[in-house]
Amino acid sequence: MDDWKPSPLIKPFGARKKRSWYLTWKYKLTNQRALRRFCQTGAVLFLLVTVIVNIKLILDTRRAISEANEDPEPEKDYDEALGRLESPRRRGSGPRRVLDVEVYSSRSKVYVAVDGTTVLEDEAREQGRGIHVIVLNQATGHVMAKRVFDTYSPHEDEAMVLFLNMVAPGRVLICTVKDEGSFHLKDTAKALLRSLGSQAGPALGWRDTWAFVGRKGGPVLGEKHSKSPALSSWGDPVLLKTDVPLSSAEEAECHWADTELNRRRHRFCSKVEGYGSVCSCKDPTPIEFSPDPLPDNKVFNVPVAVIAGNRPNYLYRMLRSLLSAQGVSPQMITVFIDGYYEEPMDVVALFGLRGIQHTPISIKNARVSQHYKASLTATFNLFPEAKFAVVLEEDLDIAVDFFSFLSQSIHLLEEDDSLYCISAWNDQGYEHTAEDPALLYRVETMPGLGWVLRKSLYKEELEPKWPTPEKLWDWDMWMRMPEQRRGRECIIPDISRSYHFGIVGLNMNGYFHEAYFKKHKFNTVPGVQLRNVDSLKKEAYEVEVHRLLSEAEVLDHSKNPCEDSFLPDTEGHTYVAFIRMEKDDDFTSWTQLAKCLHIWDLDVRGNHRGLWRLFRKRNHFLVVGVPASPYSMKKPPSITPIFLEPPPKEEGAPGAAEQT
Amino acid sequence: MSRINKNVILALLTLTSSAFLLFQLYYYKHYLSAKNGAGLSKSKGSRIGFDGTQWRTVKKFIMLTSSQNVPVFLIDPLILELINKNFEQVKNASHGSASECKFFCVPRDFTAFALQYHLWKNEEGWFRIAENMGFQCLKIESKDPRLDGIDSLSGTEIPLHYICTLASHAVHLVVFHERSGNYLWHGHLRLKGHIDRKFVPFRKLQFGRYPGAFDRPELQQITIDGLEVLIPKDPMHFLEEIPHSRFIECRYKEARAFFQQYLDDNTVEAMAFRKNAKELLQLAAKTLKKLGVRFWLSSGTCLGWYRQCGIIPYSKDVDLGIFIQDYKSDIISAFQDAGLPLKHKFGKVEDSLELSFQGKDDVKLDIFFFYEETDHMWNGGTQAKTGKKFKYLFPKFTLCWTEFVDMKVRVPCETIEYIEANYGKTWKVPVRTWDWKRSPHNVQPNGVWPVSEWDEVIQLY
Repeated sequence: MDDWKPSPLIKPFGARKKRSWYLTWKYKLTNQRALRRFCQTGAVLFLLVTVIVNIKLILDTRRAISEANEDPEPEKDYDEALGRLESPRRRGSGPRRVLDVEVYSSRSKVYVAVDGTTVLEDEAREQGRGIHVIVLNQATGHVMAKRVFDTYSPHEDEAMVLFLNMVAPGRVLICTVKDEGSFHLKDTAKALLRSLGSQAGPALGWRDTWAFVGRKGGPVLGEKHSKSPALSSWGDPVLLKTDVPLSSAEEAECHWADTELNRRRHRFCSKVEGYGSVCSCKDPTPIEFSPDPLPDNKVFNVPVAVIAGNRPNYLYRMLRSLLSAQGVSPQMITVFIDGYYEEPMDVVALFGLRGIQHTPISIKNARVSQHYKASLTATFNLFPEAKFAVVLEEDLDIAVDFFSFLSQSIHLLEEDDSLYCISAWNDQGYEHTAEDPALLYRVETMPGLGWVLRKSLYKEELEPKWPTPEKLWDWDMWMRMPEQRRGRECIIPDISRSYHFGIVGLNMNGYFHEAYFKKHKFNTVPGVQLRNVDSLKKEAYEVEVHRLLSEAEVLDHSKNPCEDSFLPDTEGHTYVAFIRMEKDDDFTSWTQLAKCLHIWDLDVRGNHRGLWRLFRKRNHFLVVGVPASPYSMKKPPSITPIFLEPPPKEEGAPGAAEQT
Repeated sequence: MSRINKNVILALLTLTSSAFLLFQLYYYKHYLSAKNGAGLSKSKGSRIGFDGTQWRTVKKFIMLTSSQNVPVFLIDPLILELINKNFEQVKNASHGSASECKFFCVPRDFTAFALQYHLWKNEEGWFRIAENMGFQCLKIESKDPRLDGIDSLSGTEIPLHYICTLASHAVHLVVFHERSGNYLWHGHLRLKGHIDRKFVPFRKLQFGRYPGAFDRPELQQITIDGLEVLIPKDPMHFLEEIPHSRFIECRYKEARAFFQQYLDDNTVEAMAFRKNAKELLQLAAKTLKKLGVRFWLSSGTCLGWYRQCGIIPYSKDVDLGIFIQDYKSDIISAFQDAGLPLKHKFGKVEDSLELSFQGKDDVKLDIFFFYEETDHMWNGGTQAKTGKKFKYLFPKFTLCWTEFVDMKVRVPCETIEYIEANYGKTWKVPVRTWDWKRSPHNVQPNGVWPVSEWDEVIQLY
């Protein structure tokens, strides 16, 4: 300001007018020279100060306004501030247009660094084998998804194809191989890699190392590959360094109508990837479902606790099915996340639900068990008026009539003290062993996987003596122990109202899932009217069982029960078979029978006083353990109970099977 | 030449500065309209009550809440007071006969409503609609105290207060949350850094200075001043609760630290005692509530609450305090009717009264009556064998609500002073052997009962 000089080129407009006005004023003061001088300097000073102050003010307001514009909803600036924290302002001044990406692939270690920040590092032994995939936001450089596909094992390549297809066009894809990624990398997957522009990916061989950076549907930005020289050795480690040009935010985002829902969608989609059409620009899949309300819904005010870990894709699938179930009340749902994971929280926020994070306590199954305890306690704290809580897990599909099923049966928990829980899952309800959606059973085992817990049971019995963190127990196994269950039973449907789809879990793997869970029957019929619900009460159920046994036709016990012909090719009949069961805990014959029926045989499930009920070839099939079961008296004297011997010892059965 | 230059400079300066002045005016206008919330507290003399601004704001607010299904009810002490005074009239008034504005036009700074959070379905869209209707709203959130008691849970924050202003009147919407123990809780209105402290005169708010606890009120619909509002069915009871509604949370963090140091006793006996003590306390609370007698957790039970948020398993009894002025002669019979026979009675109403009832499984309920002096409070003790009297002195205290074993109960607000008086500075260290005549820090010998009175003041059953 000090060296400001009037430009001689610009004749100030209006100066003349100003000047004459100034002159008249000046002449009045002319007679006192000193005073005039004083006034002049005063005026100059004053004007200078005004100018400076004003310029400052303008700058200030400018800045304030531009800040306000940046923030589309100034009134919500709390939420926004949170959101803003996430987006890294790269290296201070303005958005950088290029990211430098480093990708490393080797036998025992992979890492990916974006602008010097390590976003993936895996050098754990015996872990993380396969192709690691990272998706970056093309405008911000944000990590939107991080996956590893163990393409050494079967079917993982299918998951990878599914995932890569879901990634929106334009995103930056980074792939790197750890250890081995080619053994089960099939043609579809290779074709997909080719379509991404990769040269080496489709030709990936045994124990090759490979690093790839490219844009989905766009150019390849860098690729390195090293062939394994021999079967017994690995390719040399490769380090790929490449620059990734960033595109403008405009391009990276969709323009959905401005609604509350789409704001949620937008927040979600600009952060994470791999959820398919929910983030599609053109025709995004809905995130609000408004299923038909349930008339006379008795479980509308029952809180629903969803127990989750860090499997956000599972959680997403689970919540979709839950929110689509008839009679759901979203405000009663709380998702409890075991750990401070962001992505599951994002999924919860996408659906506008309440999410609570839990600092992990202890390890392995004790951690799960502590998470359950904290979640259940919190549920009853948050809903102090609730008498029950529905407990779900993140890897379940929920049947459309899940709440209808509970609404029709929940009064039993209130009226019958001999009940332990109501569960939506029938351990023995496989495609070939379950038939009747309106039928309920009483069973002595606790199936879990979508169940209702009575508050009084939890508060008065379970909570005070819940296994402490140092006890490495499965919570569900603990709940099944006689000290806890105390002879009480659970109500289950013949056809399950939940479906266990998780194949990654604490005690779960793909093989185990395929053998025991995949073929489970799952009800898809809405609004099923349950039959004769009150006959499930303690005494009434005995009457019912006796009636069934009386009218049941006794099967030919000379045939092999494992043969298909053991049951006649009829429909709608009730048959009974008697197997040997010496004591209450003698399940030798049952286990063998279960094995050959291809149902749950890892421990005993679904029994009620030595009786199992299931369906075979559309016939109701009863199995009674003689002589331990009180129903043994229904056995005609001429019949010898079937005895099935266990095969000679080659015990390798997985120990306690998981239901978590 | 220099003169001309000077003049030119002067002229230019004038010109630029006036241009800037114009700019300034222009921006200032913008600046104001962007920050108009701030205008409220500054706009002087909003001519309260004269033009019915309050009425109109409340009316708009009620329109908003009913259209958006926001479950609110009126808790404004001033208006409830007026309603209570004219209760009959209000109840009988037919709809729409609002000839004059008697309630909602009364001069005041705020109108307070309560929001029943657990009944609220569409939290999300509400804020925006309120703003579209012209309200300036402020939302105050905090973490959920119901999760505090549990290790290591952190949830999304819950709303505690909304303050919405329209045309220079503000509606204070206090969010009531359900808590275990069948009561409603509201949070402390704490102004965080980014909140405009001049948004409304916060000091004049009737709720939110402290967290508060209220019995869950039954509600009724009334029409006053042409507006349909829900109010507590018993406005009198609600009004009486307000001044004593202050709530203090248990110190969960400290309790966790305590258990890390001393470990919780999870033996079967300890669990059984805790269960019995809890049931006994619940029964006592129910009985006293029916009688309308105030009580608070005293001695060991109070220490258990303060130190470990639970019942001390080796304490072997439940201790309650009652002010002697709240004493009712039918206390003993009421407890007996509830299945708790009198075990002993020491002292008399005028001096050192103490009652002891026998709960099941050998758990005892001790009720100490507190006497107030000018600068302290005290309760008495009596040794049955010798007739010796003891006195336990406490600094003066007031009562607050808290939550203890799924119940809303009172404790001294000045808890630390109370506990330190009783147990000294080392109250944090568990002491398993306790002699009630010697161990307490505040015990004083208080003479001996005259033998002639023993029959009255030492009754053992």
